[in-house]
Amino acid sequence: MILKSFFQKMKPLNWGIVGLIFVIAALGWGLLISAAGGDISPWASKQIVRFSIGILIMGGVALTNLRWWLQFSYIFYWISFVLLCGVECMGFMGMGAERWIDLYVIQLQPSELMKIALVMALARYFHSQSLPLSLAKVWFPTLLVLLPVCLVLRQPDLGTAMVLLLTGGMMFFLAGVSLWFFGVALMGAAASIPLLWNFLYDYQKNRILIFFDPGQDALGKGYHINQSKIALGSGGLWGKGYMQGTQASLGFLPEKQTDSIFTLLCEEWGFMGGLFLIGLYVVLLIACFRIILTTQNVFGRFVAAGITITFFLYVFINIGMVMGLLPVVGVPLPLVSYGGTALLTLLMGFGFLLNVGAHRTAKLPR
Amino acid sequence: MSDVTLMSDKRNAQFLSRIFVIGLLQGICLLILVGRMYYLQIVQGNYYHLLAEGNRVATRALLPSRGELCDRHGVPFAQNTTTFRLVFLMDKRDKVEKTLEALSKLIVFSDEEKEEALKSTRKKRGLDAVILKENLTWAEVSTIELHGADLPGISVEVGGVRTYPEKSVGAHVLGYVAAPSEEEQEGDEALAIPGMKVGKNGLEKHFEKRLRGVPGYSAFEVNARRKVVRELDQKPSAPGQTIRLTLDGNLQAYVQETLEAHPSAAAVVMDLRNGDILALASTPSFDPNLFPQGISHKEWNKLRDNVYVPLTNKALSGRYPPGSTIKPLVALAALHAGVINANTTVHCPGYMYVGTHKFHCICKEGHGPVNVSQALARSCDVFFYEVGKKVGIDRLAAVYQDFGLGSGGLPDFPYQKRGLVPTKAWKQEKKGEKWTVSDTVQASIGQGYMLATPLELAIVIARLVGGTRLMPRLEGIHGMLFPQMDYKREHLDLVLGGMGDAANMLGGTAFRWRILDPGYEMGGKTGTSQVRRITRQQRALGQTRTYHLPWKYREHGLFMAYAPVHDPRYVVAVLIEHAGSSGPAVQVARDILLEAQLMEKEAEL
Repeated sequence: MILKSFFQKMKPLNWGIVGLIFVIAALGWGLLISAAGGDISPWASKQIVRFSIGILIMGGVALTNLRWWLQFSYIFYWISFVLLCGVECMGFMGMGAERWIDLYVIQLQPSELMKIALVMALARYFHSQSLPLSLAKVWFPTLLVLLPVCLVLRQPDLGTAMVLLLTGGMMFFLAGVSLWFFGVALMGAAASIPLLWNFLYDYQKNRILIFFDPGQDALGKGYHINQSKIALGSGGLWGKGYMQGTQASLGFLPEKQTDSIFTLLCEEWGFMGGLFLIGLYVVLLIACFRIILTTQNVFGRFVAAGITITFFLYVFINIGMVMGLLPVVGVPLPLVSYGGTALLTLLMGFGFLLNVGAHRTAKLPR
Repeated sequence: MSDVTLMSDKRNAQFLSRIFVIGLLQGICLLILVGRMYYLQIVQGNYYHLLAEGNRVATRALLPSRGELCDRHGVPFAQNTTTFRLVFLMDKRDKVEKTLEALSKLIVFSDEEKEEALKSTRKKRGLDAVILKENLTWAEVSTIELHGADLPGISVEVGGVRTYPEKSVGAHVLGYVAAPSEEEQEGDEALAIPGMKVGKNGLEKHFEKRLRGVPGYSAFEVNARRKVVRELDQKPSAPGQTIRLTLDGNLQAYVQETLEAHPSAAAVVMDLRNGDILALASTPSFDPNLFPQGISHKEWNKLRDNVYVPLTNKALSGRYPPGSTIKPLVALAALHAGVINANTTVHCPGYMYVGTHKFHCICKEGHGPVNVSQALARSCDVFFYEVGKKVGIDRLAAVYQDFGLGSGGLPDFPYQKRGLVPTKAWKQEKKGEKWTVSDTVQASIGQGYMLATPLELAIVIARLVGGTRLMPRLEGIHGMLFPQMDYKREHLDLVLGGMGDAANMLGGTAFRWRILDPGYEMGGKTGTSQVRRITRQQRALGQTRTYHLPWKYREHGLFMAYAPVHDPRYVVAVLIEHAGSSGPAVQVARDILLEAQLMEKEAEL
């Protein structure tokens, strides 16, 4: 009986998305094996375990009632917010930035959690409001966005701040906020750049300066991005072959298993390999857009759109970063980069997306 | 809470248009990514491929062994001797300081050397080893081998050091090698290899390309910490060519020894059948073994500050007024031009006036009536004043040049200089003055503006004797045919007769130092070249000879000669700086010509 209802619940899920997630993740494991010089440990094995946990979370989230999440979204947001404040107090130094809370079992990154929580909170808010969105209706969601952004910037985690800000901004845009608002916001952002600059650590300032002039100090501060471009460019059309990447295997490529993993792919599989992965992402994005467009309740649409946008931003910022199009800000390549929390929250996000997809026609109270 | 689950149409429309914009933006962004990827991987793929290879591959150059220089019998003049050198291998670069510290406790290794070594390890990017110390002693080698475990990166390599077994003999013509200068290294990658030496002078420089050989390399794959992962490829070096010279080691040594009797002198000995330079010496000489390992400042200053300029090859780059040695050419020019014949006589009263200027003869009392043979034998200046004036500078200069004056002699030889044959055009251009009869008269006795190198004088005598357009050479054992010169044999014979008389007939200028052994006699022409003008006052005091002047104001002594007179084979030109007369030069030439003939006899036996 229970089994039967379980399968009935599973049926409306978008299995295409699930399949794509598996394919992309499996491709990532292959790359992690190559990064370890042909060994499944230390990275691929751990990543598979994490992925399995993530898939369970995704399934769990997907099979719950969307209505329940609508109720829970603000609470979810505030929990994440409190955790984020927590890193200020009890976080410890990791990679020069305070981003982690040590839960003794896994290290939790509240900023990752916040990415989902913000989407949920904004979706809930826009769901509850009717058009037009006057200025009086916009200050609250603006606060919802800016509060975590400020906290994340204090850590300082430029990548996450950027993702939060852009996701929030695009959701505002989708919600029908007047274009004037964006004009004012842009000017405000431009005005606060010098102020922000002082908040940054030296290494971050260097990363941005290097972005504008990658040739300077090629062995020092510019080493990372230069070696990354060399690895990528030297792949050519078909690449050097699996596990034949010299830049990666001889240690010229820093962070090859995490942020630079796209470079590893391009070195070993060439332009075609890179194109293949981007193609998979595009197919996944299209599937996500289909859910957005076919969902009929506002909450669901905004949740789906928010998750999709976050996912897209990860892809774009990471790949743009390793190719020297964007400054190095430390954003992983979704589903592929080695790393725990990013994968878990992303899969959780896809859980929500699948959930929305399964409840496209559900009627939700305001 | 009303249950508006479905969106209103208006809200739906706005949402759709805005999600379309976002979708479009995302599409554009992804296209930019693909475009960038295309640019980096396809458009610039080769460039980045090269950079990646440069990251991955490090090479270590392999020194070629330098070709030897041998004398005509195959005896080495310049060779490579095996030595042990201490090197630091750059794949242990992180341990360099500790290693050098340990090293200085084991062998003599000064703080200066340590500083130098640290500097060069910091500069190095490739895998080429840094040379710490050359010429290790056996004791040092065994000490280092014994403590090898405490000296990471240290290795003893077998290397070749250029040595010149004959030391100062032939130093000028051989030249020497030394570490290349920074300018030399530019545009020549091979010279950047540690331990590479380059010819700096003489034949070492002249034959640099052939002697050097081609360096090889070992290519290694290295990781980001520049540790060697594996060897990829190796190409052994190709040794340089061994070159057999025309020089005769024994004669060269003899010539040098003979010249050493004088503070500063030069001599060239040639075989006039083929132009082979058998000996070419300049004194004082130096030991070229000082240079390959880097000469000390003290030694260098000693050589540089020596007033007798030991580093200059006077046989090739010393320019001297040829003086009376030019007279055979004046005689030939006059005969050739038909200005005189064998019987034409000129009366020599001991002087001649050109305008108001009185030109003196070497014989104050005058030679009386002299013909061309007598004039050559006794070196009568007045005869040649008269004859030279009649021939004129144009025809004189043409003959001078025809005999190789002003040509240098050895094309492309380093630091070789050319003599000077003055002409009307030359004087106009250089001095801005018109040519005068006085100038012609002076050019007729090899003074005034005229300059020649000892090698050029050797060519003059060789061409006079052989009647061919002989060219000197330092390499090549095969015979060689030179084109005939367009002078009548009888004219040449007449000039040679005069030169034979000079060394064999009573009254000849070289008669006193003639070769007495029958069958070995020589012929030749003496010359003294004034370093400064003899003043009227000195002349009045009878100081026409300059023995009593300080050394550097005395006349140079010159002699060019050939032997044996009946069947000439050897020619020699000798210059003794500030000898005061030609006598010492004649004696040196006599000894050399006799020795050369005796050596030939000995070889035949």
